[in-house]
Order: sequence, then structure tokens, then C-alpha cells
Amino acid sequence: MNNEIIVVAELSDNRILPVTYELIAFARALAAGDSAPVRMIVPGRETHAVARDLADETGLDTIALVGDPLAFYNAETWMTAMAARLAVRKPRYICIAHTSRGCDFAPGLAVRLGASCITAVEGFSRQDGAARFVRKIFNGKIKMDVTPERDTTVLTVLPGAFKVEQKSPRAHLAGSMEVLKIPDHPQKIRTLGVIPAEEQDLDLALADVIVSAGRGIGAEENLELIRRLAGLFSKSAMGCSRTVCDLGWLGYKHQIGLTGKTVAPKLYIACGISGAVQHIAGMRGSKMVVAVNKDPRAAIFQIADIGIVEDLMTFIPLVMDA
Amino acid sequence: MKILVCVKQVLDADGPVRIDASGKWIEEAPAARFRMNRFDEFALEEALRIREGFPGTRIDALSAGPARAAQTVRRALEMGADDGIHLFLDDERYRMPFEIASLIGAYASDRHYDLILAGVMAEDDMQGQVGPMVAEILEYPWATAVMSQKLHKTGDGPDASGTIYVERELEGGLREAFELTLPALLTIQSGINRPRYPALSHVLRARSQALITIPASRPGETDPVSFPAPRERIQSLEEPAPMKTGVILSGNPSEKAEKLRQILQERAFL
Ligand SMILES: Cc1cc2nc3c(=O)[nH]c(=O)nc-3n(C[C@H](O)[C@H](O)[C@H](O)COP(=O)(O)OP(=O)(O)OC[C@H]3O[C@@H](n4cnc5c(N)ncnc54)[C@H](O)[C@@H]3O)c2cc1C
Ligand SMILES: Nc1ncnc2c1ncn2[C@@H]1O[C@H](COP(=O)(O)O)[C@@H](O)[C@H]1O
Repeated sequence: MNNEIIVVAELSDNRILPVTYELIAFARALAAGDSAPVRMIVPGRETHAVARDLADETGLDTIALVGDPLAFYNAETWMTAMAARLAVRKPRYICIAHTSRGCDFAPGLAVRLGASCITAVEGFSRQDGAARFVRKIFNGKIKMDVTPERDTTVLTVLPGAFKVEQKSPRAHLAGSMEVLKIPDHPQKIRTLGVIPAEEQDLDLALADVIVSAGRGIGAEENLELIRRLAGLFSKSAMGCSRTVCDLGWLGYKHQIGLTGKTVAPKLYIACGISGAVQHIAGMRGSKMVVAVNKDPRAAIFQIADIGIVEDLMTFIPLVMDA
Repeated sequence: MKILVCVKQVLDADGPVRIDASGKWIEEAPAARFRMNRFDEFALEEALRIREGFPGTRIDALSAGPARAAQTVRRALEMGADDGIHLFLDDERYRMPFEIASLIGAYASDRHYDLILAGVMAEDDMQGQVGPMVAEILEYPWATAVMSQKLHKTGDGPDASGTIYVERELEGGLREAFELTLPALLTIQSGINRPRYPALSHVLRARSQALITIPASRPGETDPVSFPAPRERIQSLEEPAPMKTGVILSGNPSEKAEKLRQILQERAFL
């Protein structure tokens, strides 16, 4: 076994997505304990230039995994291309972003490599030299420490959970850059392309105050209460959890979270929202968070500045009358 | 066409969730409520819709779990699955996704499902791994977080073939489209449909229909489906501290409402 840590870069339109820098910060912290080498893999049709830039900027050795089959994301090509290279390197850890695409290929990659697989990692601690990875279960109510049992471990790291140090200075010594060409074309999955998002409005982005509804509002009619609460503030907008959209109570353009909007208002009021990591991922930048939930153990209270343990149906009318 | 839907029984987290004596999983309090993972309801509903489009399709619903998981298999029958399979675990210990995926993979390996559907994630362990792992074990192509699908079947009978068009969800409202060769596995994202309430006729049938119960044996044993060694180990569970920096308002509801308004006024929000 070797102690190398591999970071898989995530790109969009041949540009490095910010989450990649979080992965690098995570990998570096993980490496610090046993001074392990960190190496990047940059998959895509022609990532030579991007990989070169990354190597210059970060000082990390970089592998541009290139070829026509990698022109567009495809679980089969991604996994096959990476597994072949990773099987010979036998790295200790493979760090992948816990994004839609990362989650798509990481578990399959782990199976193919016979590796351990730990998803939605928010951090790690060290005990007797071994890293324990921290993740949340039950909509954030419980924290779980997991250790891998295999020599190689695939990790998906939750976006936003691992802060990038203030724009780290450009590396003194550029990393090396290696190019690996992928010949194999996918057999069973054909990529047909990206479909643009439906029209968005800017209400949430521009609002100073966001009042957000979760499944805890109980019924569509009760949205009126949330709407009236939002009406107390100027420059306010209504947000919600994914569940509220799935139930058809509000349109998806109101959804806040990993697969919805990322917002950072001055004030965020969460009503009947449990605080699952996927929701928090979209609002953790809010300056002040008020949470109303009848369950004192709801995870939303972990990140709230003001917590109110009450039934929102009785509490919100009181706030409006007070 | 044969479809397998993987349905997991989960503890409803609206109630108390307490760590058990071992410190490694969750206590089964007497008042604990177990139900079908919501993401799996979307998966099952999608299977029912495919069957409506392709009459003659058979839907098997499968759950791996202890004795109580039989209720969730039965729930799947009530919603309209044709057969219910219970991979019976003889204790209530938590199993890692790879262990569960191996069990499901072993069960499905010689049963020639054209399509396997799972939820994008289980609400209890929030791993999002079992679906793609089952696919890789069976060498099926897969797509996760599917928000829409359209099946194109050619031929019929045991050697039916075809493709499935899928759109999977990306961040920021984008989607990406793929065409997968059958057999294939999809994990279904919430919001793809509105799961139906069970029809009375299905509820009545489910009541009398026997489940197919298959014992999952211990590691090392082989028949009929067995566990591999776990690849990850839970070291500890912990309830995070309720608040890092904030305060919980105290008093009766009106006092709390008054305090909140005061705070919001002080900060010039009102
Ligand atoms: C790939 C993926 C992406 C996802 N992306 C997102 C995303 O972008 N955004 C998102 O929000 N979710 C997302 N989710 C879903 C997420 O995991 C949770 O399921 C969801 O956030 C839960 O929504 P909720 O808090 O409204 O509902 P629940 O978790 O059901 O919580 C309801 C809360 O209301 C409280 N409550 C009930 N009644 C009352 C009352 N009368 N008064 C006060 N409180 C009450 C309960 O105590 C509970 O805490 C995603 C999931 C996956 C798998
Ligand atoms: N014990 C189980 N029995 C049946 N299906 C399961 C089981 N565990 C997980 N699954 C399926 O795999 C999906 C993802 O689970 P997980 O990887 O645990 O988040 C679930 O939505 C189910 O469809």
C-alpha cells in the first residue's frame, strides 16, 4: 500500500469548479498527519492546459486524464478510465466532490477497486494515527465517525463543509504534469448532453431576509402563514426545503440547498425544516439564522443563532401579533 | 419486462432518535415508528408508471432487513408491486451499503431483471451508495438522481432488450441526459412523480399474499445470499451539541415571540 492521496477535480466547461479547491484543502489536511503526497486527476477531453495551471498554482503533481470519450461526463467512462489508472497506483484515499456527478460514479468506483466507500464526509479526526471520517445521519440529528477497513478508500466530501484557507499563495514550485490518454469508449451509456435550467428569478438572490418553509408546516394552506411572516420584512423572499417542492406546495425555484439555490441573506428564518446536510449546504452562508422547530433535537438548531422550540402554527401568529 | 425495486425500511426521524447501548447504531424505542424510505416510494411509483405503459411488466419489491422490514415489503404490495421479497436479517445490526448491495446483487444475479430501481438515498444512513453499487456488482449501467425516464423496449419475453432515456439532476436546476442499454439500474430522486396512495384492491390482495422470505446468512456461509466482510466500521455515534454559538429562547410562547421581535428590531430587521 502507498499513502498517496488522489483528488479528482470537477470541471464545468473546462473550468475548475470551486469545490475542487475545497477537496484540495481537505486532502492537504488529511495528508499533513503522515506527510502523504497529494496528486490531482483532471478528467476531460482536453484538460492539459487546466491541469498545467493547477499544477503551477497548487504545486501538486497533476494527471490530465484526456480523450474524446471524456468530452462529457458519463458514469461508465469516468469510472472505467479512473479505475484502470487507480488500480495500479493503489492510493490510500481518493477524494471526490459530493456533487451530483461525484455521487454518481464514486460508489461504483469503490466497488470496482475493492475499496472502502465513505460519502458526504464533513471532516475527520485522528485517533491513534488513524483517520476517522465524520458524516451525519438521520437528517443531521446524529454524527457518525467511520473508519475504513480497506487499503484504499473512496471519499466524497460535502461541498462547503471544508473551508478553503484564504486564497493560498501560488506555489513556489510547480507540480509536475502527466498526460494519460483514454481510448475506451462507453458501451452501455450514451451521453446526450446538458439541459439548461428553467427560467430562474432573482428574488432569493436579492433578498435581505428569506423566510423558508419545511415539511413541518404540515399542509399547503399553511404557506399563507409563512408568506405573512415574510411580509413583515422589506426585501424579503420565500424559500423552502426540497420536500416542500416535491409535495407541490411551492415551485422548485424556491428550493434552497445542494440541488437548489445557494443563498446568503442577512436573515434566514427556517420554519419546520429539520436541517439535513443537503439543505444546510445552501444556506450556511446566512449572516443570522432563526429556526423554529418543535423538535429540540432538530439539526437546524446546530447552526441557528436564535432557536425557538415551538409548534410553528401557534408561534408564528404570536410573532405577528406581538 | 421484469423490474426490481429496492425499498428500505427506515426509522422515522421526526420522533426521538437515540443512540443504542452499543454506541454504534440507533435504539429501537418501543414508540419508534418505521416506514418506507420516502425516496423509495418515488422509485416504486416510477415502476408502477412503467408497468402502466408496458402491460405484462412484473414488479418485484425487495427489502433487506430484520423481521419488521416485512411491513415495508407489504406496503410495497399495497402500493401495487406484484411480488414482495424479504431478505431476512436475523438481527437488527446496521449494515454498510456494500454489504446490503452484495446481498441484493447476489439475489438479483440470476433473475434477469431488465430494470432495477432504488432510491437516491436512504433517509436514515444518508449514504446514497447501495444503488450504484448493486449496478456495478451486476455489471449494469446506471444513472443516479434520475428526474425523468422513458423506456424504449424492443422485443418481448425473456430476451427482451431495449434502452432507457434518463435525465439526471445536476446542481443549479440543470439536468443531463443519457441513454442506457438495458438491463440498467436507476436511482430515483424525489419529485420525479407523486407517489399514489394504495388502492383498496391492492391493500386487500397484499393482506393475503405471502411474501417471499429469503434468509441472508452470515459471512462465510454461502446459501442462499451471504454477506461479504464489511469495508467500513462505525467507530462511534454522537448527538451533536444542540448549538454552537446561538441561544434557545426560553419562556412561554408569547414571551418567546416578544423576545424574537425585540431581537429583530435591535438588528434593524423590523
Ligand atoms: C441528492 C439529494 C439532494 C438534495 N437536495 C436538497 C436541497 O437542495 N434542499 C433541501 O432542502 N433538501 C434536499 N435534499 C433532501 C434532504 O435530504 C431532506 O430530505 C430535506 O431537506 C428535508 O426537508 P424538511 O426539513 O422540510 O423535512 P423533514 O426532514 O421532514 O423535517 C420536518 C421538520 O419539521 C418539524 N416540524 C414538524 N411539525 C412541526 C410544527 N408543527 N412546528 C414546528 N416544527 C415542526 C419536524 O420536527 C422536522 O424537524 C436532497 C436530498 C438528496 C438525496
Ligand atoms: N436494506 C435495504 N433493503 C432494500 N433496499 C435498500 C436497503 N438499503 C438501501 N437500499 C436501497 O438503496 C438506496 C440507497 O440507500 P443508501 O445507500 O443506504 O443511502 C435506498 O433508497 C434503497 O432503494
